[in-house]
Amino acid sequence: MVSLLKRSLAIISILIIGYWLAQGLAGVPFGQDKMLVGHYYLQHVKEQTGAVNAVTAIVVNYRGFDTLGEVTVLFIASTGVGALLWRKKRERTAKTEGSVVLTTGVELLFPFIVMFGSYIFIHGHLTPGGGFPGGATIATAFLLLYMAFISYEIPHRLFENLEGIAGMSYVLVGLIGLAIGGYFLFDWIWQTWHWGTSNLGRLFSGGFIPVIYTIIGIKVGTELSGIVDNMLKEEVGE
Amino acid sequence: MNGQYASLLIALPLISAFFVPLIKGLGRKAVMGYLVLITAIQTGIAGWVFSEVYSTGKPIIVMAGGWKPPVGINLYIGHFAALFVLIVAIVSFFMAIFSYKAVTVEPIDKYAMLFLLLMLGATGMIATGDIFNLFVFMEITSITAYALTAYNKTGEAAEASMKYIVLGGIGSSFFLIGVALIYGATGTLNMGHIAQLAGTMNATAAQVGLALVIFGLAVEAELFPLNAWAPDAYQAAPHPITAMFSAFVVKAGLYAMARLIYILQNANGWSDILKLVIALATLTVVVAEFSALRQRDVKRMIAYSSISQVGMIAFALALGTQAGISAGVFHMVNHAIVKALLFLTVGYVGITLGGTKIENFAGLGKRMPLTALTLTIGSLAAVGIPLFNIFWSKVRILLAGVEAGYSWSVALILGASVVEAVYYLRLIHTMWFVGNGERIRENFAIGVIAIFLAALIVVIGIYPNDLWTLVQKAGQDIFNVANYISHVPLMGVGS
Repeated sequence: MVSLLKRSLAIISILIIGYWLAQGLAGVPFGQDKMLVGHYYLQHVKEQTGAVNAVTAIVVNYRGFDTLGEVTVLFIASTGVGALLWRKKRERTAKTEGSVVLTTGVELLFPFIVMFGSYIFIHGHLTPGGGFPGGATIATAFLLLYMAFISYEIPHRLFENLEGIAGMSYVLVGLIGLAIGGYFLFDWIWQTWHWGTSNLGRLFSGGFIPVIYTIIGIKVGTELSGIVDNMLKEEVGE
Repeated sequence: MNGQYASLLIALPLISAFFVPLIKGLGRKAVMGYLVLITAIQTGIAGWVFSEVYSTGKPIIVMAGGWKPPVGINLYIGHFAALFVLIVAIVSFFMAIFSYKAVTVEPIDKYAMLFLLLMLGATGMIATGDIFNLFVFMEITSITAYALTAYNKTGEAAEASMKYIVLGGIGSSFFLIGVALIYGATGTLNMGHIAQLAGTMNATAAQVGLALVIFGLAVEAELFPLNAWAPDAYQAAPHPITAMFSAFVVKAGLYAMARLIYILQNANGWSDILKLVIALATLTVVVAEFSALRQRDVKRMIAYSSISQVGMIAFALALGTQAGISAGVFHMVNHAIVKALLFLTVGYVGITLGGTKIENFAGLGKRMPLTALTLTIGSLAAVGIPLFNIFWSKVRILLAGVEAGYSWSVALILGASVVEAVYYLRLIHTMWFVGNGERIRENFAIGVIAIFLAALIVVIGIYPNDLWTLVQKAGQDIFNVANYISHVPLMGVGS
């Protein structure tokens, strides 16, 4: 039980911090135009990247370096979970199978969810979404399988290798950019080959954004599934 | 050669970490050998970048994606970053060799990946020229650090990692709020561009934003109220990882803090923030030294000592003068060498004799003379005895402190240094004059690394001037913001 004194002290200090933050925020008036770099993105996104979706163009192309970092953060999370939960022998120890409605429902839904997830990451340069939501959607499909069936397991070797290969391909695409365009993560498909420039707004456009989002989608999907798998297993005796 | 190839500093550890799952079937030896190989290549690239930057005198600007800042993200590898990227790579290389012997806990492939990504995160934090990118690299560094702290899977390690995660998570969210505020007030994320616009920022917004950012970085940089995780994490982490934490992870945090403070030096209310950091840093030194005095575990004792030295660096970096920053950078380099040596030798004793309790160190001079000798050199250097490297940087920091008018903190720091001498001399006494024991064969590779680092300490101690001119250039890199801005090829968006 937290004492009254402790609680009121906490509330008072939070109020002070809140007031202080509000003072700082008052220095950034809402609605005032502060978009220095933002305007540049909005005005040049189509001709420079070929993407209709400005957010994905910024995330993958203009500030692609950050996305590479975020992909790495996710990779670290899954590696870290794997390292900390590692035991010689681990198995699923779930006891109750899902009801018939649940198992049949999951079986039917599974391909649709995977298909929709792939749709999201393939169309990253055209519609809202991209690699991260697409990958998370695919991982949801595997989570459903885990919850409906007591003995289901993802194909581990395949998923682990796929995860590694997808990560390497992202860096490789960047390195090809370094070789062709002279800059790491340079969009060589759009800016050097001009591939798809007459096709703006259609599926086969957007430079390397769809390529990278496919890689990210695969990577995120396998990674989150791997985390779920690791968390659901328990150590069993020899 | 094209300067853009410096982006390999980021690309190589990344692609190699992603490659590890594909070779994990080859067994422990192969994975460890791979780790040594990659860190060796990284050292080669860092060496090339270092010689390039110091021979031309110009920073290498890597523009990711070919976009000019502030539209794209740039890496700014100036004198400071070139020096520290090299230190990061060399220390990682040494610790990869040490890991052969020190890390036997499975799964070794995951260890190798996390090890490489820790090196990547620190490299990125030091090299980046964009504040959001700094946040991303900080996350890479700290999340690998959480996982590696708990890697030994003992209860103690789990607890240490838990503390670190909670504090680090709060810290990075504050950092992110600070970044959002600075972005809201200036409309840009590029450090050079922010430095240009700093004068036009609203005073309160700048002050709150900078304070939040410093608060967030202080967790990584181990400043006083936010460093409670550090001694536990240092003690519980695998020995090579502890050395990496102390040698460069904390330095990356300190550097990021100094860089952000100085790019906003034109903002109103800037000097109040400096005073805050000075107070925190002084408290860090005093509290950590007195805590170290009470420790019975040598690794924990050195962890506290490391925190106190870090406080001293933060003090120097926040003085706001050229002399202070150069002295701070000088101390960063010296501290990296000394603490890498100390954690290497202490860790080696820990794995050979089973634990780092002070009792295990009795009679070490007779059982493992080489390790004991290098450990003694490291301890003497840490105390700051003349003819060892830290003497010079400590003197410079204290002089710069007096010059900048902070005599009270200099007096406190000097007082705390006396305490430091007490516990290091106690350790040396225990090693050489207490107990007896059989001679134990010492590992060749670890011995070579230890001797190399010890020799470096003595050489710098006797000839400090070469390194001093080097770190003065590196300090200039942080202090002279006008020069920094002029090197960033800003494309003049919206102005």
